[in-house]
Amino acid sequence: MLSHRRFMTTASSRYLPLRALGELSETRYWMYLLLLPSLALILLVIAYPTLYGMAISFREMRLTRPGLDGWVGFKHYVAMWSDPVFWIALKNTVVWVAAAVALELSLGLLAATALNRDLPGTKIFAVLILLPYFLPNVVAGHMWALLLDPRLGVINDLLVRIGVLQSYKAWFADPNTALAATILVEAWHGFPFFALLLLAGLKGIPEDLYKAAAVDGAGLAAQLRLITLPMLKTVIAAAVILRVIGLVNSPDLLLILTGGGPGDATQVLSLYAFQTAYKEFNFGYASALSVVMFVTLMIFAAGYIRISRITKGQGDD
Amino acid sequence: MATLSIRDVRKSYGSVQVLHGVDIELEDGGFLVLLGPSGCGKSTLLNIIAGLDDTSGGDILIGGRSVLDLAPKDRNIAMVFQSYALYPTMSVARNIGFGLEMRGVGADQRKRAVEDAARMLQISHLLDRRPANLSGGQRQRVAMGRAIVRDPELFLFDEPLSNLDAKLRVEMRTEIKRLHERLGTSIVYVTHDQIEAMTLGTKVAVMKGGYIQQLDDPRTIYERPANMFVASFIGSPAMNFLAGRLVPDSEGVQFQASGVSIVLPTRNRPVDSERPVVLGIRPEELRTVPRNRASIMGEIDVVEPTGPETMVTVQVGEHAIIARLPPRFAGRRKEPICLAVDPASVNLFDPDSGRRIDI
Repeated sequence: MLSHRRFMTTASSRYLPLRALGELSETRYWMYLLLLPSLALILLVIAYPTLYGMAISFREMRLTRPGLDGWVGFKHYVAMWSDPVFWIALKNTVVWVAAAVALELSLGLLAATALNRDLPGTKIFAVLILLPYFLPNVVAGHMWALLLDPRLGVINDLLVRIGVLQSYKAWFADPNTALAATILVEAWHGFPFFALLLLAGLKGIPEDLYKAAAVDGAGLAAQLRLITLPMLKTVIAAAVILRVIGLVNSPDLLLILTGGGPGDATQVLSLYAFQTAYKEFNFGYASALSVVMFVTLMIFAAGYIRISRITKGQGDD
Repeated sequence: MATLSIRDVRKSYGSVQVLHGVDIELEDGGFLVLLGPSGCGKSTLLNIIAGLDDTSGGDILIGGRSVLDLAPKDRNIAMVFQSYALYPTMSVARNIGFGLEMRGVGADQRKRAVEDAARMLQISHLLDRRPANLSGGQRQRVAMGRAIVRDPELFLFDEPLSNLDAKLRVEMRTEIKRLHERLGTSIVYVTHDQIEAMTLGTKVAVMKGGYIQQLDDPRTIYERPANMFVASFIGSPAMNFLAGRLVPDSEGVQFQASGVSIVLPTRNRPVDSERPVVLGIRPEELRTVPRNRASIMGEIDVVEPTGPETMVTVQVGEHAIIARLPPRFAGRRKEPICLAVDPASVNLFDPDSGRRIDI
């Protein structure tokens, strides 16, 4: 109040714009003034599209039938409840994400542990191991589609030669192998992300802890279980959340490898929403699917953070 | 409790040799201090004793048994690290009992052992806490608790006090000494702090560049250092060095330098001719005397009263020496000062090799 009044009196006696600005910068309103541009930008490019997208889920919006436009309330959500493809996609999403993240985490931990030794050459390997992650999903997808091709795929050829397979196999065409094959491709593509973050985490664990553990008689398994994993808990939790969000939201790899097929064997929510929007041009229903994904992810992240207690800041001092 | 024998232990990393054949024998219940500046190889030697590092040659015997082929956990040792190396995700109680837990000791017995150790170190009230919630001194105690709970044959301390503030360091030093006297377990203790070495060790190995410079009891190391490195490394302020020469004299030999003339008693052999030497005098051996009895004449440069004593820097010829004089010393800058020294307390060194000369 006091500063406000001072601002007023200065302004009324003789108006000096720069001086007034200087006075204002001394008050606590200055902070909000400075935040205003970024706030406006965030509202414009993030909040507005998000809310608009959510609003569409309560409307009919089919580009093929423009006449149907209008508010329909929860119609799409009700329809989703009895949509078998939605339930298949939800189940596939859970399987796909859980299996891929588990594989990527294990592979990443293995790679990070190997790279954490100061042996000659580990620096080069640290870069090489990141290569899959550098590849765009689209490139990685096409590469693996070719490698696993039923007619000329080199992997089929190798497996037949060493006698694992009788004949070439169409991995992505068989409903029994399609999802597993795409999980393996995703694991290959995504494990360097975990390797990188876990390596950074490992570097933060003091060497002395392992020396003390060696003197105390803890073997490698006990060291991993009682020192390494607890100390990496925060990093693992953060990496898993980021990766799960990334996987749930990105349909591109599956779009290229299988397009959700055969049938709906590899259909996941993000791909289903994408196809509903851009193949059937049914934006209302696609938007409702996205909202469900959004809410599910929010619940997952909140629950996961609570379970792994990463907010309590234990493990670091 | 056990003896420790370090026999001709060598260690190289690639072409760099960091330990050049180290030999140390430590008696049962002894307290060996490995003392030296950074990079002298003392920590490497400790890691080799612990089995955390391997040797390039030589042998380590604990209780008369070679341990080189044994893993750290099988050597029956316990180690305290400079960083304390407490497991951050475990409670204090579990930290202390971890070695027992890994050895399959039952929960009840473990609990009793942890409580005993905690009582001895006065940390019973901290057992449920995490290391992150402890002060530096408390962590230090927990690290020691982890070592003593196992009742090993040998304790290894790797600069355990260097992360503590000065006051706490003195307290914990006393604590370690008390612990040693109470438990009677042999200890190997690495430090670069000469006070810790002097106060704690029954045996001190002064190391430099991967060589043992001198291995003796602390008193001998202080009073009769084997060379100029040991002489200058031990003691604060450091020993004064005066370059001069020995001249044969009717009563024995005389040390002469500009402003200095000291008659030294010879014990074994008379000095035949003049030879250049370096004279070493501890600051506390110097005292002020009337002019006619002076053996060192100089000019006061700086007077620093510290309370219990006064440090006086004296310019003698081209040398500056420090004298530790009584608290109420009254001299001032630029005044002449006459000093004397007990001839039996001085040390002579060869100016080329730096080695001690006994006359």
